[in-house]
Amino acid sequence: MLRLAPWFSALRSGMPPLRGLLPLVVLLALWQAINPQGSPYFPPPSSWWTGLSVLAKSGRLGAALSSTLITFVLAIALSCVLGGLLGLLLGRSRAARRALGPTLEFFRGLPPPVIVPVAVLLLGYVQSLKLVVVVLVAIWPILLNTASATAAVSELLVEVSHTLRLGRVATLYKIIVPSAVPAFLVGVRSAIPLAIIITLLVEMLTSLPGVGSLIVISQRQFHSAEVYGLLIVVGLMGFVINAIFVTIEGVTLRRFPPRASYMHDN
Amino acid sequence: MSAATVVADSGNIYECDAVSLELFPHGKRRLIIDRLSLNVRTGEFLTIVGSSGTGKSTLLRLLGGLVPATSGNIRFRGAAVAGAPSGVVVVFQDYSNALLQWRTVARNIALGIEDKLDKAEVDARIRQSLQMVGLEKNALDHPWQLSGGMQQRVQIARALALKPQVMLMDEPFGALDAMTKASLQDEVLKVHQQTGTSFVFITHDIEEAVYLGDRVIVLAGPPGRIHNAVDITLPRPRDQMSTRQSPEFLRYRAEIHDAVLAAGGH
Amino acid sequence: MRAKLNIPGTLTLLALVALWEVAVRGGAVTFDYLPAPSAIAVAFVGIVRSGELLTATLHTLGSVLIGWVLALVIGGALGLLFGLSAFARRWFLATLEVLRPLPAIAFLPVALLLFSFSLTTELVVMVYASIWPMFINTMGGIANVSSRLNDVGLTLKLSPTQTLLKVLIPAAAPSILVGARLCLGLTLVLAIIAEMIGNPHGLGYAVVNALIAIQPEQMFAYVLFIGVLAIALNALLLQAARLLLPAYGRGAVETV
Repeated sequence: MLRLAPWFSALRSGMPPLRGLLPLVVLLALWQAINPQGSPYFPPPSSWWTGLSVLAKSGRLGAALSSTLITFVLAIALSCVLGGLLGLLLGRSRAARRALGPTLEFFRGLPPPVIVPVAVLLLGYVQSLKLVVVVLVAIWPILLNTASATAAVSELLVEVSHTLRLGRVATLYKIIVPSAVPAFLVGVRSAIPLAIIITLLVEMLTSLPGVGSLIVISQRQFHSAEVYGLLIVVGLMGFVINAIFVTIEGVTLRRFPPRASYMHDN
Repeated sequence: MSAATVVADSGNIYECDAVSLELFPHGKRRLIIDRLSLNVRTGEFLTIVGSSGTGKSTLLRLLGGLVPATSGNIRFRGAAVAGAPSGVVVVFQDYSNALLQWRTVARNIALGIEDKLDKAEVDARIRQSLQMVGLEKNALDHPWQLSGGMQQRVQIARALALKPQVMLMDEPFGALDAMTKASLQDEVLKVHQQTGTSFVFITHDIEEAVYLGDRVIVLAGPPGRIHNAVDITLPRPRDQMSTRQSPEFLRYRAEIHDAVLAAGGH
Repeated sequence: MRAKLNIPGTLTLLALVALWEVAVRGGAVTFDYLPAPSAIAVAFVGIVRSGELLTATLHTLGSVLIGWVLALVIGGALGLLFGLSAFARRWFLATLEVLRPLPAIAFLPVALLLFSFSLTTELVVMVYASIWPMFINTMGGIANVSSRLNDVGLTLKLSPTQTLLKVLIPAAAPSILVGARLCLGLTLVLAIIAEMIGNPHGLGYAVVNALIAIQPEQMFAYVLFIGVLAIALNALLLQAARLLLPAYGRGAVETV
């Protein structure tokens, strides 16, 4: 119990009391009790499970879930690496920031879903399409947050590195990179829900394998129990991904001064 | 200037000859330091006072090699200063920004030496420095968990770990309360006495300048130039109570007070 | 921040467009369907002339406006309730926190099931997604100030209603406005997603339709227009917030 305490408390901190789940439980129980059998729109919660187990037995659920998760994980990893590195470069160069500013502003302002049809048009319906599209969307918050934090490293810290005779490389990895970490994490925090939404959207639009296309197929066939069941699966997926991120973030930020600005909800 | 023959034997660790610094903020030429000549004797505790706008901090940055002079010569141990010289270290006023908040106290102290010395030597120096500033118990704390006075002690310890020949201190106690300030002044005097390090200490507090210094330089400006210099012949070791109450101390204080007023500034 | 014209930045943007034009004309890029900027411009003029752009834009903006107002009212009311009432936080907040991370897009099939291809489907998804920033920012803003400023109300002998209207809501206004701005951005994003999949009208549908009809020039024209529209909406709201909140200083509006 004590061993688990640090990461568990990182997860629990900021979460409301669990008894607040009671209304949800009551609602689902009522839904089940009224049991609108035969309603194609509101299948009772117990039937969601049945619908899901049918999908699971046929192997379609597992395949879809792993395809979606692999896309998501790879896309977030690539976005972190590319967004972090490019953000660092951009943050270090005032000239580059000025030159690329309006272009980057445009890409940041562009509503992410419109990137999907553009990529479909240019790349065709290929498996790597999913990855490319999600990276193209998820990279911006990470890149821009890292760049502005890198640019904002205080002049004083640069003087500290001079007076301690650190050299350029040591200054970069001992001072500049670590001081951009909290802002980088804020970027990742806003990239994660975006990446989930866009992964599902690409799958829905292109019917490439994944939870998104599975849910659309179930809906077109009016298998409403499956649709509700898959909604729960997607919700759980989001919840677990978020919990993992919050844990990593909590452990990383423990060494940084607590500051409300890291906690922005996007 | 025959570079080969210059030796530190002049008794001066720093020699500045007609040093000027011009900056061009918003395209306008501004003279910050005007043909200033100054020597710092080896082992001396030199304090520099002046109103704001007299270029105190700029002068310190010139000595520390953090900004290059526009004209004139600055020599440290006979060699022209270009970039931060080895053996010189600056302690900044804004301690919370000068420390790496994500590193522990011990790792902050290691910052300037960790890549240059072997691990045993680094550990030994961290221990010595911590002991000199009385922070043995706080080695594993993060700076943001400490009070302002303790954070400034960490910065001093980080400078001491380099075993510098000169410590350049830029209004280091300006942001601290009176009690903390007094104890840190005695801390610094102890270090001066134990290590024989030369000090250049900037302050706007006249009493502090007299209490610490072997010599007080009063700056006039803008642009910054030397108004006058006063040798302080108060006996050492000095004491917060008896030294500050002695008639000589009060006479020095009045003399420098008048000089600062006569020197003008903002 | 009233930025001066960024000359190198604008030049870079123009240079990129010129490079794109040259690369496509010269056959330097191998994509089958990448149109040149000039061709996109021609297509843009085409959709403006035919009125397609106007119809689609009016539909999208109309549903964004309805969705935004609904989200502001629902999210704001919930935020106020949960910000003020510890009882609500204790007994209902966890339920909302479980629903919040549910990706709104996963609701689209459910909404389709219930309302088929319609404006209702579009609105359900939009509102579901965009109440959250409004809710969180209002709740956070109120909860943040109420601990400090409740005492002000008490010592000035204000009634609870007066405290709420004169002290708490104005103090939380910057945070609430940030929520409203985030909310508008999300509403637009979700409107486009819903139009792509759930409601065959508006700009989102126009983009997908151009894709299916293999009219790349038109598709790019719509995509670039959507980008400009989104940036303009955001700028409009920033400006409005600045006018509404002159007393709070600049920093208040631009945070987040």
